[in-house]
Amino acid sequence: MKFTINRNQFIKKISNVQRAISTKTTIPILTGIKLELSQEGLTITGSDVDISIQTFISVSDADNELHIENTGAIVLPARFFNEIIKKLPGEQFTLNVVENNQTIIKSGKTEFTINGLDANSYPRLPEVESNEKLSISAEMLRQLVDETVFSASKQENRPILTGLHLKISAEKLLGVATDSHRLAQRIVKVNNQSDNDYDIVVPARSLKELEHCLIEDNSEIKISISENQILFEFQNTLFYSRLLEGNYPGTDRLIPTSSDTQLTFDAKSLLQSVERASLLSHASRNNVVRLAIDVNASKVTLYGNSPEVGTVEENLTTEALSGADLEISFNPDYLKEALQAFGDTKIEVEFTSALHPFTLKPSDNKENFIQLITPVRTF
Amino acid sequence: MEQKDYYAKFEELQQSSQDLTRKLIEMKDIISHILEENAEFKIENDHLRQRLAEIDNDKTTPQLPEARRTLEKLYEEGFHVCTVMYGAHRENKEECAFCLDVIYGERGV
Ligand SMILES: [Zn+2]
Repeated sequence: MKFTINRNQFIKKISNVQRAISTKTTIPILTGIKLELSQEGLTITGSDVDISIQTFISVSDADNELHIENTGAIVLPARFFNEIIKKLPGEQFTLNVVENNQTIIKSGKTEFTINGLDANSYPRLPEVESNEKLSISAEMLRQLVDETVFSASKQENRPILTGLHLKISAEKLLGVATDSHRLAQRIVKVNNQSDNDYDIVVPARSLKELEHCLIEDNSEIKISISENQILFEFQNTLFYSRLLEGNYPGTDRLIPTSSDTQLTFDAKSLLQSVERASLLSHASRNNVVRLAIDVNASKVTLYGNSPEVGTVEENLTTEALSGADLEISFNPDYLKEALQAFGDTKIEVEFTSALHPFTLKPSDNKENFIQLITPVRTF
Repeated sequence: MEQKDYYAKFEELQQSSQDLTRKLIEMKDIISHILEENAEFKIENDHLRQRLAEIDNDKTTPQLPEARRTLEKLYEEGFHVCTVMYGAHRENKEECAFCLDVIYGERGV
């Protein structure tokens, strides 16, 4: 196996693959990056079992300056290989596999000889039959991930809650994540040419990595789903993730259908108020703030306190308020993260009672984006 | 001490700290198992007491149905009563939307 390639182009193309490679893997060969050269181009693969990413550098794209002398395959230690390529002096480099998997990397006046591993011992990628019928825009997918996965559980004791529950039916994709303390649900549009419905749970970590891979992407992303894998295809890249096993708990019934108290806020200014109140609640053992709503007096007050440090009280600016008076306590961090996901918009906050979860929705997209926070019971 | 003695000592300490960590993890597993079991016994005990109260013709008028009140009590003591995490300890007594639905939800338990 021997080829020459434009160095910057190569660095750009392998940066996504690097995301799948972990130094902590228990399978030594997976600390490596696999290069496979055919007459058509160079296929590069990285994997940590949960996530596998493969990208293709085509010989027909002139920018790549890819010249193939002879085909073959090799696995190289990913971390060293990456650092070496970044620090090489020339605009191009040549990679040549000689005997015993020894690999010579040449650029300018520099020559590295690296011990590689036999590519035949690299595990095979999951088999997912490519589906031509399901796709979503990169922007929609980024939004979906951004606005939900932070609510997934970070604790492994109930593994299913560490994922994002995805339900696809017709052209509608519903994503929901909850750690049981709060919940985020977002509905976006997918292009679904098939009659199939899907109900799967994808690890939140996989989706965060996928989101990084899509940062500057505006293309349409093909999605294929098998029994235990999901495959995203975009710009010469294949992104595989395993699915979480088991049934996701029913969350529809957690979302209240009616409310007794309704408030409208500017999300950004509410966020600032919550941040101020949490300065003190963070200093206390139970991180809780209290919201008092007096409808007749048109007064909404947020209280925070720390027995050691002191108290804070702020009259909140509401755009509208209606319904019954209420006092409710909750963890301000959940409200903060929920508000961050909304960004700069008007939101509607609806309460049923001090014991029931309350909901937050953006005024201009109430049907498709909803967040829920459970109150803290105070006695 | 010679340098290599220090090293041997260090290895020995490392070994014993690893042993200790392993034992701690084992104990934590056992304790959480016992707590879950304990929660289940409590539920069962409450059910039995309820049954006893019924037989004794105890005339209390609860706001919540008996079964839900039992669950509420258990929840307040710090245990999950939802199907997702039934019997598990609520860490830092954090609130659980699934439990609240079971206790106060509109549909039957
Ligand atoms: Zn629960």
